[in-house]
Amino acid sequence: MLEIQNLCKSFGALKASDDLSLSVDQGTIHALIGPNGAGKTTLISQLSGYMQPNSGMITFDGQDLLTVPAHKRPHAGLVRSFQITSVFPELTVLDNICLVLQSMRGHAHSIIRLAASDYFEQNEAQEILTRVGLNDKAYSLTGNLAHGQKRQVEIAMALATKPKLLLLDEPMAGMGTEESLQIMDLLNVLRKSVTMLLVEHDMDVVFSLADKISVLVYGRVVASDTPENIRNNQDVQEAYLGGNELKTKAEIC
Amino acid sequence: MRYTQHTRFLIVCLVILILLPWFFQTIESSYLVSTFTRLVIFAIAAVSLDLLIGYTGLVSFGHAAFLGVGAYTVGILSFHAYEETTFLGLPGTLSGLVSIPLAIVLSALVALIIGALSLRTKGVYFIMITLSFGQMLFFLFVSLEQYGGDDGMMMFDGRNTLPGFNLNDRVEFYYFCLTWFVLFFWFSTRLVRSKFGRTLAAIRQNEDRLSSIGINEYWAKLQIFVIAGIGAGLAGALSANHTEFISPDITHWTRSGDLMIVVILGGMGTLIGPVLGTFLFLLLEEFLPLILHSLGLNLLSEHWRFVFGPILILMVLYAKFGLYGLIFRQRS
Repeated sequence: MLEIQNLCKSFGALKASDDLSLSVDQGTIHALIGPNGAGKTTLISQLSGYMQPNSGMITFDGQDLLTVPAHKRPHAGLVRSFQITSVFPELTVLDNICLVLQSMRGHAHSIIRLAASDYFEQNEAQEILTRVGLNDKAYSLTGNLAHGQKRQVEIAMALATKPKLLLLDEPMAGMGTEESLQIMDLLNVLRKSVTMLLVEHDMDVVFSLADKISVLVYGRVVASDTPENIRNNQDVQEAYLGGNELKTKAEIC
Repeated sequence: MRYTQHTRFLIVCLVILILLPWFFQTIESSYLVSTFTRLVIFAIAAVSLDLLIGYTGLVSFGHAAFLGVGAYTVGILSFHAYEETTFLGLPGTLSGLVSIPLAIVLSALVALIIGALSLRTKGVYFIMITLSFGQMLFFLFVSLEQYGGDDGMMMFDGRNTLPGFNLNDRVEFYYFCLTWFVLFFWFSTRLVRSKFGRTLAAIRQNEDRLSSIGINEYWAKLQIFVIAGIGAGLAGALSANHTEFISPDITHWTRSGDLMIVVILGGMGTLIGPVLGTFLFLLLEEFLPLILHSLGLNLLSEHWRFVFGPILILMVLYAKFGLYGLIFRQRS
């Protein structure tokens, strides 16, 4: 479904993506792990169009993605969530979701349609909030929510686009245990309909959700395999999981 | 709760504005109708700027440019009608049915061009580039020797004509402008409550997030820039008719500054606020010298801006949400 070939992106001397190739199969949860600074978020940014790579190819659904502007990618079915919470703080939680829904329906520029009287849209938003466990916060200002709840809004916004491929950049970062479990359950339900590329530091989450894991170190994919094989992969253990120095680093993150 | 309070306030204001000419007639000061015509006209421009500054977070410092486009459209058409000459092969006209719609179309077009270029920048750069475009238009109008250069031009044939109305009548013209104001204000309140209004709020709060939910924020900003340009262009066309005189001064950057002051003074992002701001600003400008004079402060009366400045500073410092905040206190 998603094919990344020889992707390169550098910031000065730093190679954030170094000849990176990866493919994500339809219907899978593909986890992307790696130490801090391995280029995970940079990869997500290039996939979502927030950054342009220096060279390489990205195809999504058989379509050359690099010619598609960032704001059209969600309409094509490719949506990201943000590692650093990025919501609309002065809108209510419900309005945050309605904003996404109106965009997907092509109503973002409509002056004729009043925002408050589209009950169809609001019902749909309410349903999505129920799925992420935020239905009782629908009318709170998003800026007033706790950090973990803002993360839930972030995921609800991504879901509202009805994506084919969801790029989740550390969706559980900063969430409480209870919310984390709820989101894990949600991702488990979603896996039937949505393909996911999941960046996550919590290895329990990664190994219980992922169908396939790719390990990224210094902008390169050092291994891409099933969780079972990754666990037993000597290189990965040395480079990331097993190496004592790096293990502590991963734990800190 | 606030909504009904708003509505009540607006209805009272509207009734007062409708009854004003009659009131001024009974106290035998009909000339005041003309003052209020000016207030109503500039309130249109202030409301349109509030859509940009208050609702979208786009601090445009060249809004007076569109006043100029509207005013010069009316002026140039009137000029050629008077001279019985042609402009690019087209005859001039005094008909309000032609010149006012044309003023709207042309200001939309100019806003489209200025917006398309300046919306590629953000923050301080956007402020500077809109200021530059405003000044470009100012000097363009100064250079139009045929139309009076920096002295400007008179509309010798009087105001635009409208079948069934006599716009040269003070009171009828006031109601004409009031109607436009009410229409534009109503349109704006509806706009900010529309789905597009929600998109604008999102741009103000977290612009970079929009493309990830499938909204092209550049087009949304251009759309509101053009709408605001139309508002100011309309105000310009009415203003030219009001004074029957058009000069580049209407496009000067200090005019853009006045509009910004009025929006901030009244309360950004409230629509009602900028209207109140316009009224306070222009009334102070008009009557502060007189008030100071009658208090026997002749020196201050001559240098009335000496008093005007501190009043503005105090307002900005102590009145959160401006005049709007003073009236609708409960907003936290």
